[in-house]
Amino acid sequence: MIIFLLLPALLLLLVVFVVPLFRYAWLSFHADSVITGLIAIPNGGANWLRLLQDLRYWQDLGQTLRFAGVSVGLELILALCIALLLDQRWRGRDVVRTLALIPWALPTTVMALGWRWIFNTPYGPIDHFTKIAGIGSLNILGDPNFAWIATVWADVWKTTPFAALILLAGLQTIPADLYEALRLEGGNALICLRRITLPLLRPYILLALLFRLAQSFGVFDLIQVLTGGGPASTTESIALYAYWNALRFLDFGYSSTIIMASFVLISLICVIAWIGLQVLIPTHPKSRGVIEL
Amino acid sequence: MMRHSHFIRRIIATLFIVLICSAGFGIAQARSIESVSFLMAAPFADATQDLVKQFNQEHRGNISLQVVRGPLETEAMSDLAISSLLLGKAPFDGLLMDVTWLPKYAAAGWMQPLEDYFSETDIASLAIGAREGNSYDGHLYRWPMNADMGLLYYRTDLMELPPETPDQLVQVSQSLQKDKKVDWGYVWQGRQYEGLSCVYLELIDGFGGDWLKTDSNQIGLNSKPGVEAAAWLQGLIDQGVSPRAVTNYGEAEALQSFKVGDAAFMRNWPYAWAELQKSDSAVKGNVGITTMVAKPGHTTATLGSWGLTVLKGSSHVDASIEAIRFLTSETAQKQLFLKYGYSPTQQRVIDDPQLLQDKPILAEFGRALKVATPRPQTALYAQISDVLTRQLSSILTGERTPENGMNVAAANTNQILMSAGEKP
Amino acid sequence: MNRRSLVGLLLLWSLGPLLWQVYTSFCSDQALIQPFVSHDQRWTLIHYQSVLNANPPFWRYLVNSLIVGISSTFLCLLLALPAAYALNRIPRQLSALSRLALVGAALFPYVLLFLALLELARALNLGNQLLALSLPYAALSQPLAILLLNNAFNDLPPELEDAAKLEGLSLFQRFRWIFIPLISPATASTAILVFLFSWNEYPIALTWISDSSKLTLPVAMARIAGSSIYSVPYGAYAAATVLGSIPLVLLVLIFQKPIVSGLTSGAVKG
Repeated sequence: MIIFLLLPALLLLLVVFVVPLFRYAWLSFHADSVITGLIAIPNGGANWLRLLQDLRYWQDLGQTLRFAGVSVGLELILALCIALLLDQRWRGRDVVRTLALIPWALPTTVMALGWRWIFNTPYGPIDHFTKIAGIGSLNILGDPNFAWIATVWADVWKTTPFAALILLAGLQTIPADLYEALRLEGGNALICLRRITLPLLRPYILLALLFRLAQSFGVFDLIQVLTGGGPASTTESIALYAYWNALRFLDFGYSSTIIMASFVLISLICVIAWIGLQVLIPTHPKSRGVIEL
Repeated sequence: MMRHSHFIRRIIATLFIVLICSAGFGIAQARSIESVSFLMAAPFADATQDLVKQFNQEHRGNISLQVVRGPLETEAMSDLAISSLLLGKAPFDGLLMDVTWLPKYAAAGWMQPLEDYFSETDIASLAIGAREGNSYDGHLYRWPMNADMGLLYYRTDLMELPPETPDQLVQVSQSLQKDKKVDWGYVWQGRQYEGLSCVYLELIDGFGGDWLKTDSNQIGLNSKPGVEAAAWLQGLIDQGVSPRAVTNYGEAEALQSFKVGDAAFMRNWPYAWAELQKSDSAVKGNVGITTMVAKPGHTTATLGSWGLTVLKGSSHVDASIEAIRFLTSETAQKQLFLKYGYSPTQQRVIDDPQLLQDKPILAEFGRALKVATPRPQTALYAQISDVLTRQLSSILTGERTPENGMNVAAANTNQILMSAGEKP
Repeated sequence: MNRRSLVGLLLLWSLGPLLWQVYTSFCSDQALIQPFVSHDQRWTLIHYQSVLNANPPFWRYLVNSLIVGISSTFLCLLLALPAAYALNRIPRQLSALSRLALVGAALFPYVLLFLALLELARALNLGNQLLALSLPYAALSQPLAILLLNNAFNDLPPELEDAAKLEGLSLFQRFRWIFIPLISPATASTAILVFLFSWNEYPIALTWISDSSKLTLPVAMARIAGSSIYSVPYGAYAAATVLGSIPLVLLVLIFQKPIVSGLTSGAVKG
């Protein structure tokens, strides 16, 4: 009886999450492209061999890792600051919290268009300010060295509120008397941060980190609209490369290979990040496990 | 009494039958209005508006043609068409297709072969350059609507005759720049996109080489002419003949720069001519056109060219062909040329004395069309062009030497051919 | 730095980019290229006119997104509510494992699923149909929805259900009269989060819908981004950005409580 309540959801989840992975694994060992008339023909490991030698994929992977790492790192730091700011009660706090949430609610492609305008050289405000500041015109979106920074900035802007809310939730579970006790012993703000806040926030930081890291490995919308992958493919992400292989080059077999490889690598990296952060931030005797694993 | 009602019944029955018949006839008439829709990129959709109106007027009650307006950028246009075609039945009957997409779409089995609809005479009426890029694997799939070819625009007020070789171009540019007549010598499309492949093709062929011979799958990117071509382009930036920002230029940016008088030379397509004669152009009346510079005997113009195709599975093939014939007829081509500067494909239109008198520039178009060369016609074109522009972009931005970059490009092209099973 | 200035900085950072779009969307083309110089003829409505009068008209995209959003939310809740309830009634080990799997699914970068979903659309002829999009959207939001609703069910005292069973209420009746009303805050939060997700989703809408009159908002914006003929199209871009943002800003302002509580409770209880 209970099973009937679960069945529809289970079925849908299987079809959408599990079946694709098996399909990708199978398809990656076949040639399925416009050359084969979009019919899958086994080709042994040829796709995987090609992937290993495909400099473009490895460059995209590196770029995606760089994007994800820098973006998530900046986000967490900013989110912590914002959460600390919003933690106390002051007049208008709820209003500010709502307004700060707006960036997260906007569709990525809508604001990406906006960012294209903001970073525009020579008409955008960023260019104007760099000229005033004496740095000169930077041509951010056209410069292979700087374009990725624009994408990071846009991503941080959008996703920081989400991380901030999660950390805020965590901050509000910390009992105030812990801080008082430490202050009586002579601790200042920094020591409070290090010995109380961060350890007690650890589960929330881990949650925000994992979630954001996994999502930013799949960055697609932002890159496609903001830079189109350029200049010189320096902002191209693995999701974008997989997409083009399927929809531009009509090579489904190779696209599946890219997706499969990326899935494995992303999972690996997330596990490593999880373990890494566990080591980095010490636990507090009073911390509660957030995710019961 | 009986006879009376019998008679009346007959009348009613007859009236009824006449009513049904005429209603049926009306419905049949309405059904027989075939509704045909073509998908075109934005500029062409706008340019053919008048022609579509004329067509619908002439074929009122029979065929109703509608043009669906697609995105501006060629790549985005193809993405749109492909995603419609991949999902199954596409919501349109015909597609205005760029010359480089044909092998891919044909190999995917999305196009209707057209050789039964166009005779030898029809084909013979096309200019020689316009006959390229319409067939694949022995079938005719596309009927060309306009013939685009790469052209070298130059300032007639700054020089007597245009340069003919790459060295001459650099010399003329540098002397003009020294005399402060222009800021820049030569502006072209250097961004990492399809336009860069077009620029490169003219030069690799111009230096005597070949990008890819599709029959033998021989790759010429890292041959001597291939590397020379890349080095020449990079040299333009290094020597200051072209601005550094050219690595981000598309057609619009190059046109903008030339239009305000900042440059002595520009590479662009025929459409730019009409733009440069507009009232807001600083160089109006001082622009000449010629073919791209090349080593003697190797002059090349990259073939652009958009043509109309019919999708397989369309239920209005005959009506679509009617529409195609109309849109590519001599009158239509004259109209498009006079109003929008689109280069015609029919030889008779190119040789038309009245047109040549009104717009002498048509002679230059004709001349360039004679040396028009298509890019490699393979279903893998999108990938190999991608790989090439990537390496060219890193050469132009100074990240790789021309030799190194072209070697990588050749190796990557090889890889693509091999994994598709194309190499012997 | 005192709190006032920090808050000011936060607001500038969060709202500045959007306000810049608003500002430039009213600038004429001449004024656009010199946004910091004072200009005689600065203000104009022509960008909004060109976006609103485009073919198809802009409001069409909003309607499409609305249809998809509502149908996805409905379908998602329809499937998630029973599943969330049932999750507590299966053996402990299985339930813990399921929760772990759901967390994994919630973290998964779903854009990687686009290819398999495209094949699904091709095979089942689901392309170019707005209501069909609710299937993948409901599926992708299931993990989060089930976890959130399950938390809410956990908070209900077990005696409640026992008492209801004693009174002879069937499962359906228990749902209808007790559970759904009692967990309605959590349902509201889940609903708004699922709605937001469906509204903002891009890769799947991109591959499943190609007909321009059926596009959802994010895909339409991306297409606008790629389709301008003008050399400086940014006036129209800014207008489109503002128009595309208005519904979301309104949603956030109106539904701030459920959004915030949904996100934070999701974090607190994992």
